[in-house]
Amino acid sequence: MSVFPLPQSAAGGPIIDFDSAACCLEIEGLSLAYGETPALRELTLRVPRHRVTAFIGPSGCGKSTLLRALNRLHDLNDDVRLNGRICLEGQDIHAPEVEVAKLRRRVGMVFQAPNPFPMSIYDNVAFGLRLQGGIRKRQLDDIVEWALRSAALWDEVKDRLKSSAWALSGGQQQRLVIARTLAVRPEVLLLDEPASALDPISTLKIEELIRNLKSQLTLVLVTHNMQQAARVSDYTAFLQEGELVEYGATDTLFTNPRLARTENYITGRMA
Amino acid sequence: MIRLGRARLPRVEGALPWLAAGSVALSLLMLAGLLSLLAVRGMGHFWPAPLTLVTLENGHQLAGQAVREERLPNAAGRERLYLTGNRDLDGAIWRWVAVDEIVAQSHPRDLVVLQRTRWGNFHGRLLALEEPAGRVEGEAAWAALQARLKEITLLREERDRLRDEVVVPLVRHLEQDPDAETELARVSARIRALQARITGGSLLLESVDGRRLEQPLEQVLRVWRPNAMSPPAKMVAWGRGVWRFLAEGPRAANSAGGVWPAIFGTVLMVLLMSVVVTPFGVLAGIYLNEVAHQGRLTHLVRIAVRNLAGVPSIVYGVFGLGVFVYGIGGSLDEWFFADQLPSPTFGTGGLLWASLTLALLTLPVVIVATEEGLARVPDTQREGALALGATRVEMLTRVVLPMTAPAMLTGVILAVARAAGEVAPLMLVGVAKLAPQVPVDGEFPYIHLERKFMHLGYHIYDVAFHGDDVQAALPLVYATALLLVLVILVLNLTAIFLRHHLRARHGARPRH
Amino acid sequence: MDITSDIHSRHISRQFNHELEELKTHLMAMGGLVERQVQEAVEALLAGDSEMAQRVVENDRAVNDMQMKIDEECTQVLARRQPAASDLRLVLAVMRGASDLERIGDEASKIARNAGDLIKIDNGTRGFVEVRMISEHVRRMVRDALTSFARFDIELALELVREDEKVDEEYRSAMRSLMTFMMEDARSITPVLNLMWILRALERIGDHANNLAEYVVYLVKGLDIRHTDLEDLDEKAITRKD
Repeated sequence: MSVFPLPQSAAGGPIIDFDSAACCLEIEGLSLAYGETPALRELTLRVPRHRVTAFIGPSGCGKSTLLRALNRLHDLNDDVRLNGRICLEGQDIHAPEVEVAKLRRRVGMVFQAPNPFPMSIYDNVAFGLRLQGGIRKRQLDDIVEWALRSAALWDEVKDRLKSSAWALSGGQQQRLVIARTLAVRPEVLLLDEPASALDPISTLKIEELIRNLKSQLTLVLVTHNMQQAARVSDYTAFLQEGELVEYGATDTLFTNPRLARTENYITGRMA
Repeated sequence: MIRLGRARLPRVEGALPWLAAGSVALSLLMLAGLLSLLAVRGMGHFWPAPLTLVTLENGHQLAGQAVREERLPNAAGRERLYLTGNRDLDGAIWRWVAVDEIVAQSHPRDLVVLQRTRWGNFHGRLLALEEPAGRVEGEAAWAALQARLKEITLLREERDRLRDEVVVPLVRHLEQDPDAETELARVSARIRALQARITGGSLLLESVDGRRLEQPLEQVLRVWRPNAMSPPAKMVAWGRGVWRFLAEGPRAANSAGGVWPAIFGTVLMVLLMSVVVTPFGVLAGIYLNEVAHQGRLTHLVRIAVRNLAGVPSIVYGVFGLGVFVYGIGGSLDEWFFADQLPSPTFGTGGLLWASLTLALLTLPVVIVATEEGLARVPDTQREGALALGATRVEMLTRVVLPMTAPAMLTGVILAVARAAGEVAPLMLVGVAKLAPQVPVDGEFPYIHLERKFMHLGYHIYDVAFHGDDVQAALPLVYATALLLVLVILVLNLTAIFLRHHLRARHGARPRH
Repeated sequence: MDITSDIHSRHISRQFNHELEELKTHLMAMGGLVERQVQEAVEALLAGDSEMAQRVVENDRAVNDMQMKIDEECTQVLARRQPAASDLRLVLAVMRGASDLERIGDEASKIARNAGDLIKIDNGTRGFVEVRMISEHVRRMVRDALTSFARFDIELALELVREDEKVDEEYRSAMRSLMTFMMEDARSITPVLNLMWILRALERIGDHANNLAEYVVYLVKGLDIRHTDLEDLDEKAITRKD
């Protein structure tokens, strides 16, 4: 494991100085406000490719907002004002030539509560592919099986692909949602507290899955559970009140954070 | 909902559970009472009631069915109302008889009831059947009459069929088709021949008080001897009566006969209304909930829509008359049917305008139901679809709308229930007192949206208030009311079945 | 970030505060005991008090028990609280510190045993000067290490690390003079060997105190300065304040 130095960025916020070539997402000077209420302030950080990066922070710190900005889910909301740049593989995701639907296929997202659609397990996984169209049944079968295997769900559901997805347990539903997202072959997978509604065993399965998926894609994880961030992530960013307080290798951040704000948060102290 | 047979109502909570249960019980009781009243009064009408031969103190005799009894005003005993028929002899079909004056009652088996196209029913005895071929008397006359009536019924059906299916279209095409005239003459000759076989022949009848009457056979519809019928025979007769009520058109200014055109008109109008209101209401609901910016204006529109649901229905009738009938209909006539003016085609009330008016009336219901359905779809479902690269339209059509379908159908169910029972606006925009031809036939364009139509609700109103003899029409009012309830029930059950089917397709509710 | 000695009393969970305080208190108590053991072992030698020497040997048990207790407490905190950052470093430092203190205790009992042997032989006071000098130095190191631990005093700890090199120097010179004794007088081989064991034990104690000081640096700075040259310490920016 390499030791990364921790230089200060020009804006004053800490960044990890990855080589640009090792970065999947580059966020530069990102500010976001809901109407008059600022949610993110001048955020700059880089997300390395094929790694798990965790965003931690207290409720309302903007970590989910940041995550949703990464695949432009805020487009739905008229009140959101956004400044700064987010680049995916070097391209600004807000550039006019970028199609939102295509972007979201490249940057998949899994939400806090499992949200399978009210259809069969198979149809859930095939949903994204069918949107793209032009895929033969045989090919679709293969991709569905691959996605379910990747999400470590195949063995549990292979005999009931046609039954309703809502009959699965919470943990299975969440893995189904991950499979559904994987089926469209995203480059980045955003996970918004993917295990917060699950029991500990299901949580561990999801975490194991996250670790295994690292070889295929870049993962960004938002979590309230610091132990979870410590367990699965390679890099951790600590956000507070819309600001990036500290960003560093998880190895360092959880044993020796640089700043008192981080220390207080991760050790459960009063500020 | 109170589950009977489950847990007992807890005493500790005081009177509230009992009050709640009591109101539910009372509502159920009233509903059951209403339905059984309609069923008994309405359906009982078709039962061949026995004819009583009543002999009075003064030696007079009468044959009739006892309808009800009342106390005389000065407490001098009771009097009883008999339905005696024989309007042509007595000038009335009802007779009040003081119970004290009755000396004898019997049920002679040879008393007959004749159902006729004029003068209502005849009660009395059959003396003879006179036909060009000869005269049959006594008991043989009864059997001959039965056979002859069966033949006449067939002839009548054949005649009516020819008239409806051949003559009416021919007349319409008379101008375009030169061959039509010869064809028409040929068919007319056939109809006249049939008519000739129906007419000719008469019955010699005698009332129980000895007055004689010659009755032309062509006016006789049915004849039966209620006192001689066995219970199974009565049962069959009842079934036929109900069937005729459902399947035949009205007679004698709606005071007799069936209600088929009204059933058909009601159902067709409601279906048309559903076809119009569903897409409009659903689209409006989607716009308000999914597309529109959720600002003050949208909020105002939403309030307005909810308030529209409370506007009295007659106001919609006035609107329909002004806008649809005179406005749009008038313009349509000027543009497309100018050759038929001044007689209006669309510029008068009709099926189309009635359906549109009711669609407008029920639109708020569908919009509100759709909106509520949409609001119940969790945002996570929408975001899940978007995150997979769905556009907003794909998200709506593939995820949100299928989940909302049951709610939309609930809206349509409510709309149907309201529309089927609505009468007031229809009187302004197209319902007819009598339109025996249903608006669907074999002639292009098959559904005649401009025609006036009959409606069960209006039929009830018309029979109950505009007939010559309300007392006689009352059983028909009950029967029609029961039918209206049943029609609405069937329409609702269809929609509920559909909704259940949709829900089943989407599996169990989510666990979270 | 640097931490201060009151940092472990600011958790939202008071129970957690209490548990961490206990750890520190117990380590200090153990340190006090060990310090006394060292002092008494040396005193027994210098005063020729064989009873005191015997008492020091017997007291080593108590030191071992304390270490086991502290280990158990640390295990509980790790399992129940999953401490992070400074809390984690405190627990680790206490565990390691207890281990080093236990070793110091072992060395003290070793001194006491050799002192007992020396008293029996009645060797006179040869070599006592060196022993007194080194022992005073070492005892101060132990005391300073415990003080720096208690106060999270990183400067004191660093001073101590440097001090250890002086002790090593003194130890080497004392060993040289003892070797001279041995060569002058063959009969003195046994007592001189005893003395050499004692000096060696004292030198070890100094090393353990040095370890304790290094844990303080780890605890406060999060930096591991074991196996690091003193000259490099500055490069690690150890005295820099964030």
